[in-house]
Amino acid sequence: MAELKEEGYLRCLPDGNLLQTKIHNIGARLVGVDKFGNKYYEKLEGVQYGRHRWVEYAEKSRYNASQVPAEWHGWLHFITDHTGDELLLLKPKRYGLDHKQNFSGEGDAFIYHSKGHALNPGQRDWTRYQPWQPTKA
Amino acid sequence: MGLGLLASKAMRPASRIFNSQNPRNFLFRTIVSKPELQKPETSAAQAQPDPPPVDLPPRTPVAGARVHFPNPDDAIEVFVDGYPVKIPKGMTVLQACEVAGVDIPRFCYHSRLSIAGNCRMCLVEVEKSPKPVASCAMPALPGMKIKTDTPVAKKAREGVMEFLLMNHPLDCPICDQGGECDLQDQSMAFGSDRGRFTEMKRSVVDKNLGPLVKTVMTRCIQCTRCVRFATEVAGVQDLGMLGRGSGEEIGTYVEKLMTSELSGNVIDICPVGALTSKPFAFKARNWELKGTESIDVTDAVGSNIRIDSRGPEVMRIVPRLNEDINEEWISDKTRFCYDGLKRQRLNDPMIRGADGRFKVVSWRDALAVVAEVAHQVKPEEIVGVAGKLSDAESMMALKDFLNRMGSNNIWCEGTGMNPNADLRSGYLMNTSIAGLEKADVFLLVGTQPRVEAAMVNARIRKTVRANQAKVGYIGPETDLNYDHQHLGTGPQTLLEIAERRHPFYSTLANAKHPVIIVGAGLFEREDKDTIFSTVETIAENAKVVRPDWNGLNVLLLNAAQAAALDLGLVPESGNSIESAKFVYLMGADDVNLDKIPGDAFVVYQGHHGDRSVYRANVIFPAAAFSEKEGIYENTEGYAQQTFPAVPTVGDARDDWKIIRALSEVAGIKLPYDSLGAIRARIRTVAPNLVHLDEREPATFTASLKPASSQKITLTPFENVVENFYMTDSITRASKIMAQCSALLTKK
Repeated sequence: MAELKEEGYLRCLPDGNLLQTKIHNIGARLVGVDKFGNKYYEKLEGVQYGRHRWVEYAEKSRYNASQVPAEWHGWLHFITDHTGDELLLLKPKRYGLDHKQNFSGEGDAFIYHSKGHALNPGQRDWTRYQPWQPTKA
Repeated sequence: MGLGLLASKAMRPASRIFNSQNPRNFLFRTIVSKPELQKPETSAAQAQPDPPPVDLPPRTPVAGARVHFPNPDDAIEVFVDGYPVKIPKGMTVLQACEVAGVDIPRFCYHSRLSIAGNCRMCLVEVEKSPKPVASCAMPALPGMKIKTDTPVAKKAREGVMEFLLMNHPLDCPICDQGGECDLQDQSMAFGSDRGRFTEMKRSVVDKNLGPLVKTVMTRCIQCTRCVRFATEVAGVQDLGMLGRGSGEEIGTYVEKLMTSELSGNVIDICPVGALTSKPFAFKARNWELKGTESIDVTDAVGSNIRIDSRGPEVMRIVPRLNEDINEEWISDKTRFCYDGLKRQRLNDPMIRGADGRFKVVSWRDALAVVAEVAHQVKPEEIVGVAGKLSDAESMMALKDFLNRMGSNNIWCEGTGMNPNADLRSGYLMNTSIAGLEKADVFLLVGTQPRVEAAMVNARIRKTVRANQAKVGYIGPETDLNYDHQHLGTGPQTLLEIAERRHPFYSTLANAKHPVIIVGAGLFEREDKDTIFSTVETIAENAKVVRPDWNGLNVLLLNAAQAAALDLGLVPESGNSIESAKFVYLMGADDVNLDKIPGDAFVVYQGHHGDRSVYRANVIFPAAAFSEKEGIYENTEGYAQQTFPAVPTVGDARDDWKIIRALSEVAGIKLPYDSLGAIRARIRTVAPNLVHLDEREPATFTASLKPASSQKITLTPFENVVENFYMTDSITRASKIMAQCSALLTKK
């Protein structure tokens, strides 16, 4: 039962999209799983062309397209035939940033604010002078 | 809009086809150099046929230059691009072109330095001359026909530019001069789009010139402007040219720092990025900066400066041209004090609590406390001291405020307890700074202009170089950067000159334009009146003051002094501070704090937490000179105005506004609430202060003064400025100035 819940079968009852995906998965080839747990499927026979690659999101209740990391995006959208695992090897180690999904509508804490924005937690200090400290007095 | 545009749109492609010289390849036009353009002779021949226009449009000289004919007979006429100009004899071809309104590209030529003629960028074509001529070094001859925009001149300059760029690194993107670089600008006009140089570029080891000037010697194009500046204007033989050919480089002959108080100016005169400002390195680009034309307040010269700021921050200070005061140089203290404006700033009103600690309070509370205490003490126990950096408006407001409280014990620090404020000639530089250039004998009494007013010293040095003027100096041993005679150390020598016993007296008496400069440091001496009357005796005997020449000068020390004495900031009694109960220090950090009695209530109004804040009971944060509009009068009586470049910090306010607010809280409202109104009030007291950018000479000479009967003491004169780099609260807060005084002042 717990496993059923974990795999999202219970969520299929209210969520038709997920049910559709689950039905679609039958007989498909699991191409890879990214570090977030999203599963990428491919089925070449018996599906309409252009619907032969898809993703089952790891997050069953709150999923959106921005959860697909950059390396899998190309494979998923038929930009390339290289899978995300192959492309991950090309990602620069020193300065490659971790993928971050779009948190729009999820509250101020998740939204990107530019460095001068009043809500930016790591707000830069725009004071350009050093005040005198009356400590010694 | 409408028909005209449509017509032009329709016409354009057709006209391009018809006008194109080789219609065969008008579709793929690439940038090619045609053979006929590469041969100057043929293209000159092409240009020749059209006859020179008969009536040329009138031209304006470059930068509004005006020609002054010392002798009208010596005027000669030359033709610049066919345009006739009249110039005095002895002018160079380059100057003649400038008068004709043609700006000649140049690197090594600088109007205030000697002519070197080694960059060859200013080549022009002169008729009947076989080769192009370096115009900066060629004297203009009568009837000369100068051509500045012919293919020969252009090709010559392009050749020079190619050679200059050969060894110049391609680091404009990381160069601090980028955007204000002469080489960058002129390579846009004369540079090639590709190089033919395939060998390795030359590289030169960087030199350490001290904490102010950063060197990237590989960028140097050997124009030698800095060498000439150091030897001619700054008067230090620190820089020189070593090696020859491609091994040629600028350097200090032995490893040493540049010890001049004008060293920052080499940053301005360097046409490339070889010498740049070390504190400004990689801080900003010049196109991000907002320039505000303002006045320097770190000494009494009132040098004209431009404050370059970005947002709320002063990024750098550069000089502004003013022939009467600072020409185009400024001292290092002026240029590099700006980081002091960002440190140790007072940004909130504070009150010292019962436990001796400062507490941040609101303006309303702070003003209320001060107003209450001011009313509790007797009027004669109220004392006000204006600081070195005060502007005329705030001193006027402070004096009015104290007078309304019933006290007249107000003075400006540095003027002494008994200043001679009755006659303006008694405290001004009557000759004027520019007038010093006429002098042929100087007598410096108790003043070291090199540290007290570096720009005045540069003028004296210029005069000494130009006129071979003799300089006599009375005072402690010092290092003036020109030939001088050290006559003595104290009033003894002065007396000898006054009694005509000293050999220097005859030099002074025989001079055509003798100049005596008395230092304002003597104001603090007990026997100041006697010394001044002795000096006046000398002036009278040696005919220093004549109807056509006033050579008797006082060199002031602080920016506020002249205006303070003009406004009559003279204390009623000399020792009022010892019995004071309420002391108002307006930026006064050099008062003797030990003299203030322990139970006195001290208000400090200022912009820096310097010396006096530690004694203060209430602190009012005020604006620094870069943040306010204020009138300053310099030592020669030239009233000028600062302009706000950056906003005030924190809760600080303009000085005069604080006093105006305090007067209202105290119930004696001062009758002005705008800058115009307070200036109208100043006009009634000292009208010369509101005649901005104008020198108001003193009307009466000192001879009207009664003779003093004080006893002269024979104690020698003392050093007035101990450390050139740190004289006021801004420079004392500056890290750069602290570095300079650690490294550059003589031990």
